[in-house]
Amino acid sequence: MTAATPMEMRDRRFGWMLTAPGLALLAAVVLFPILWAGTTSFFDYTLIMPGYDNFAGFGNYAKAAGDGEFLHAAWITVLFVLAVVSIQFAIGLLVALMLNDTERGKGVYYLILLCPLLINPVVVGLMWRMILHPTLGIVNWLLSTVGIEPVNWLGAPDMAFWTVVLVDIWHQVSFMVVLLLAGLSSLPAEPYEAARVDGASALQRFWHITLPMMKPVIAITLLIRMIFAIKTYDIIYIMTRGGPGTATDLISYFIYRRAFVSLDLGEACAMAAMLLIVIAGMTALLWRTMRTAQDD
Amino acid sequence: MRPKLAVLARHLVLAGFSAAIALPLLWVLRVSLTDKLTAYKLPPEIGQIGLHNYAEVLTQYDFGKWFGNSVAVAVAATLVSLPAAAMMAYASARYRTGGWPLLLGVLASQMIPPIVLVLPMFLVFMTLLPVPGLVAITIAHVAVNLPFMAWIMVSFFDADTRSLEEAARSDGASRWQAFRMITVPVAMPGIIAAGLLGFIMSWNEFLYALILGDHGSQTLAVGLASMETHAGVNIAPLAAATLLALAPVLVLLPFLQKYLIKGLSLGALK
Repeated sequence: MTAATPMEMRDRRFGWMLTAPGLALLAAVVLFPILWAGTTSFFDYTLIMPGYDNFAGFGNYAKAAGDGEFLHAAWITVLFVLAVVSIQFAIGLLVALMLNDTERGKGVYYLILLCPLLINPVVVGLMWRMILHPTLGIVNWLLSTVGIEPVNWLGAPDMAFWTVVLVDIWHQVSFMVVLLLAGLSSLPAEPYEAARVDGASALQRFWHITLPMMKPVIAITLLIRMIFAIKTYDIIYIMTRGGPGTATDLISYFIYRRAFVSLDLGEACAMAAMLLIVIAGMTALLWRTMRTAQDD
Repeated sequence: MRPKLAVLARHLVLAGFSAAIALPLLWVLRVSLTDKLTAYKLPPEIGQIGLHNYAEVLTQYDFGKWFGNSVAVAVAATLVSLPAAAMMAYASARYRTGGWPLLLGVLASQMIPPIVLVLPMFLVFMTLLPVPGLVAITIAHVAVNLPFMAWIMVSFFDADTRSLEEAARSDGASRWQAFRMITVPVAMPGIIAAGLLGFIMSWNEFLYALILGDHGSQTLAVGLASMETHAGVNIAPLAAATLLALAPVLVLLPFLQKYLIKGLSLGALK
């Protein structure tokens, strides 16, 4: 490493000067709260007896790890994330492939599919509750016209889980379409021309050219969507409040209840810390994938 | 014959998909325009079409206040975050300030689940720093907006303006002047897009607003969520209110289309 010239020194100082306000803000609104939550997780801190008098060590973590309801919420979240991400990916890839080969009407299709992405999740939840109301909703009436019994969309445990999955798919499937389409449209044309000369079928071209070249885009898209799906909170709050029973008790909503219904902030912070570790792991994976994609 | 069939099949799939996206929204629009009783009638009747539900929402609920609170929070959070994020992104792109650890920190910040940050923020605002609800929500939204904006803007400040800056520098401009007079104006469309995306994120945010706000600081998301319990299943005004809440965001959509991919993919795709 060579010594920095005065010019480089000044460049460096200027860079830090520009970065300082942002770093200070991030330290105040992100780092500081995280450290505070970490501290709280080691104390018996409840909203009935707030205060840092009783050090609990890893007590809150042990309690959470042995808490059946917490583990259930974590399990439900895993199922939810796997269900929404895989179905959204399947639909998203299909629609993206079709859109990529379409000229006429592409702009209209694209504009329509962008809409849900910008809609407030609270609005999405309220809207679908209205539409899926068991007796007054349009969907059950439409089903009745073709002779299907009314469906209790949010009232029965198994059904409620899949209803929430369905609503999340409606809300977020376009995310997959938009990103996968962006990936598809930036693929080079030459390999396809060569394949056509060799007489490869559409399926062969997809399997041997499109998929391998799309791998980084697919990995990035799936990871981002998974991380965001883990955070799902709003539609649960609006549509089911975690119920019926605990059928849709996703982890964010469960931690919220532990903090503001059971009032046990210490344990809630311990659970939040565990959630954060999982998210950090996935973020590291995303970082590595983005880096490799850039280098290629 | 076969290519034509393939085109037809593609349009069938795309039209079906578009219908699945659009029909629920159109149904809510239809409910919002009917009178209260017709809204419940199945099979659906046309009935009286009018804007009375919109009038009711605006006069009989605190809708105006929620709307104002949402505007205030979203504008304040954006105005605080945007300059800091732009400078940070520029320093990272041009001077490699902070190197990859800074970038990773920014990426990680925006991945943090809101439930993780809202617990300590609630405690801090309850004990250490008792601020009004709207201020607390704004501070929380900075935590959402700043890393997101900084991250997507790093790619806006790539090599495009470097030669212009160097010309200005050799004419005697300082680094700051070159940034302020040359780079910022050139990158302005991207900066505005980042600001609008941040505005929308703040506009749509629910959990922080729910927990850190008080009765007087209900944002639209919180207000709408409370409306349902108040109104029972009074769906016609609710439909009108949800569409009114959507309006500003949908108006911005055409302007943002170009930047949306970058925003959604966190800058990983162009």
